Amino acid sequence: MTLFVAGLSHKNAPVELREQLAVEEDKLRELLSDVSATGAVRETLILSTCNRVEVYGVAEAPGEARAVVFRHLCRYRGVAYGSVEPLLYTHLDGDAVHHAFRVAASLDSMMIGEPQILGQVKDAFGLAQACATVGPALHTLFTAAFAVAKKVRTETEIARHAVSVSFAAVELARKIFAGLGGKAVLLVGAGKMGELAARHLVEHGAFPVYVANRTWPRAQEMARALSGAAVPFAELETALAGVDIVITSTGATEPIVTLAMVQRVMHGRRARPLFFIDIAVPRDVEGSVNTLADVYCYNVDDLKQVVEANIRERLREAQRGEALVMREVAKFLTRQSDVEVIPTIVSLRERLEEIRVGEVRKALARLPGATAETREAIEALSAAIVNKILHAPITKLRESSRAGSSRSWLPLIHELFGLGRK
Amino acid sequence: MYPTVLDLAIFGYIAATGLSLAYLVQREEWLHRVASVATIAGWVLHAVALLALAFRLGRPPLGSLSEAVSVAVWVAVLLALWVERQYGVKVLGAFVLPVVLVLSINSATTRPLGIPGIERALGGAWIWVHIGLVLIGIAAFVLNFAGALMYVLQERQLKAKRPGTLYYRLPDLETLDRLTYRTLALGFPFLTTGLILGVLWAGRAWGSVFAYDPLALLSFVAWAIYAGTLAGRAAAGWRGRRAAYFAIIGFATLVLTLGAGLFLPGRHGS
Repeated sequence: MTLFVAGLSHKNAPVELREQLAVEEDKLRELLSDVSATGAVRETLILSTCNRVEVYGVAEAPGEARAVVFRHLCRYRGVAYGSVEPLLYTHLDGDAVHHAFRVAASLDSMMIGEPQILGQVKDAFGLAQACATVGPALHTLFTAAFAVAKKVRTETEIARHAVSVSFAAVELARKIFAGLGGKAVLLVGAGKMGELAARHLVEHGAFPVYVANRTWPRAQEMARALSGAAVPFAELETALAGVDIVITSTGATEPIVTLAMVQRVMHGRRARPLFFIDIAVPRDVEGSVNTLADVYCYNVDDLKQVVEANIRERLREAQRGEALVMREVAKFLTRQSDVEVIPTIVSLRERLEEIRVGEVRKALARLPGATAETREAIEALSAAIVNKILHAPITKLRESSRAGSSRSWLPLIHELFGLGRK
Repeated sequence: MYPTVLDLAIFGYIAATGLSLAYLVQREEWLHRVASVATIAGWVLHAVALLALAFRLGRPPLGSLSEAVSVAVWVAVLLALWVERQYGVKVLGAFVLPVVLVLSINSATTRPLGIPGIERALGGAWIWVHIGLVLIGIAAFVLNFAGALMYVLQERQLKAKRPGTLYYRLPDLETLDRLTYRTLALGFPFLTTGLILGVLWAGRAWGSVFAYDPLALLSFVAWAIYAGTLAGRAAAGWRGRRAAYFAIIGFATLVLTLGAGLFLPGRHGS
C-alpha cells in the first residue's frame, strides 16, 4: 500500500484547463464514490480549487489509481484525458506527505500565505469523510497537515503583511498609531475603493468616521453606510484639523488638499500625526505634504510599492515555513514508522511476559518455603532477563522502521518468536 | 572575585547584544528567547559582582565614577527588561544592549581601587544619595535614547515609503513616542534632584560648585537639554521627531559628560 498524491496546479497547468477540471461538491461526491467503487484505491480524497485539482490516496498501484481518478474526472467534465495526463505530477510516500503539508500551509499557493487554501483542504477532507473514502492513513495525514498549517501560520509571518492596497493602508496606519481604536477618519469622495479602505479602518476600531463629498446627499448616504457623519465639502479644512486618518478618492482633476492647507491645519495640532491615504487618480493630495513633520501621505503607487515589499517579506518568511515543514515531515514519518512496528513490539512483550509469568509460577510452586524476599528476587530476576533479551530486537525493529526496512524485519520477528498471526 | 564575575556578566551582555541584533534582522523566536536568557544571566551575575564589591569595600559600590556607571548599567538593564515586557517591544534589546556594552567597557577595564582617601572625600550620606539618584536618571535616559532612536528609524521608513526590515520589526510611532516621553518623565526628576544634592554638597565640601570640574559643567548642559525637551513636550506639545532628536542629543551629551568625568582631570575622579 502506498500513499500518493497526483494532480495539477497553477504551477504547471494553464488556467483554462484548471477551470475545466474544477468540480463542485455534488459532482465530487459522485466522483469519490465511483472511484472507490472501482477498487483501484483503498482511501481517497479529492481537492478541487481554482488553483489545483489533486487526488490524495492510498493504493496498491498509485499509477493505476491516478489514471482511474483522472479518467473519471475528465469524463465528467468532457475533457480529453490525453490533454491532462502529461501535466499530472505524482508524489509518493514521504514526498506525498511533504506535498500535503506544503499545500495546507499555503506554501504552494499562488499567493503565498493566502488563508483560503486551508479551509478548502478542510472542506475536501470533510467531504471525503462524509463519503467514507477516508481511512486511517489519510486521517492521520490530514490531521497532521492541519496542525502543521497552523504552526506555519503562527510561527512565521507568511500570512502577515497585506497583499492588497486597502489592507496595506490599514497596516501603515497601525505603524503610525498605537492601534486604531478611537482614531478619527475622514473619507473625502464617495468612491468604492475609498469606502472599502474606510471599512477596513472601522473594523480595526477607528471611530468616528466623517464623510465629505461634493454632492451632499451622496455624502449623507455614505455616512449612513459607514455609521458616520457627513461634513460639508466646503469645510474640508476644518474637518482635517480634527481627524487622524484621511482617505481621499474623488474624481477631481486638481489636488483638493494642498500643501498650504495642511501646513495651516498642522499648526494647531500640536504634532498630532496626520495620515493621508490618497487612492484617487489623479491624486487628491499634493504629494509634498509628506515633507511636513508628522504628516504621512501615501498615494496609490506608494501603497503598491508597500504591497510589493510585503510580498517580498512573505517570500522570505516562506523559506522559514519550508524549513519548518521539512522538520515536520521528518517527525511525521518517524511517528508513522513507529506506528507500523508498535503492534509487533506489543505482542512480543506480551508473549515473553506470558512465558515469564508461567515459569515463575512453576518455580515458586516447587519452593513452598520461599520467603517474601525470595519471591521478590525471583520476580525481579525474571523480569530483568526478559527486558535484556527484548532490548536488542525492539531496538532493531524501531531502527529498521525508521530506515524503511521494517517490512523485511516484521515477519522475521514474528517467525522467530512464534507470534502467531501474520 | 569581583573582576571574574563582572567579566562573566559582561560576557553575558556581549552575547545578548549579538543575539538581539541578530533577532532584529532575522525573525527567529529562539534568538529572542536565548537573548533574554543571556541578558538576565548577565544581569544576575552583575548583581553578584556589585554585591561582592560592596562587601569587600564596606560601602556602596559608588565610590568612583566607573563603579557608579556600572551600577547605572545594572539599573538600565533591569529597566529594559521591564519596558520590554510592558510595551511588548521585543526588539528593544538591539537598541539598549549596545549602549549598555559601551558603558560597561570602562567599568570592566578600570579597577575600582587605588583612589586614596575616597571614603573621606565622599564622607556623608548625602553623597551616596546624590550618586544614586543621578545614576537612576542615567538608566532611564538609556531607555529614553533607545526609544528615540527607534522612533527616528521607524519615522524615516514611513516617510521614505520603502518598507525595509526595520519597518516590519519596529513598533508603531505612537508607542515609541510614549516610551520616549515616559522615560524622560521618569529620568528627569531623578537627575534634577541628584544634581541639586550634588551642588549643595559640592558647595559645602569644595567651597565652589563647578570650579575645574568638566563633569559637573557638562552634566548641567545635559540637564538643560532634557529640561528643555520636557518643557517643550508639556507646554508646546512637542512630539515625535523633534522630541526624539532632542532625546538623542541629550543622551550624547550625557555620554560625553561621563567620558569627561572618566578621562579628564576633575574632582569626580575615575
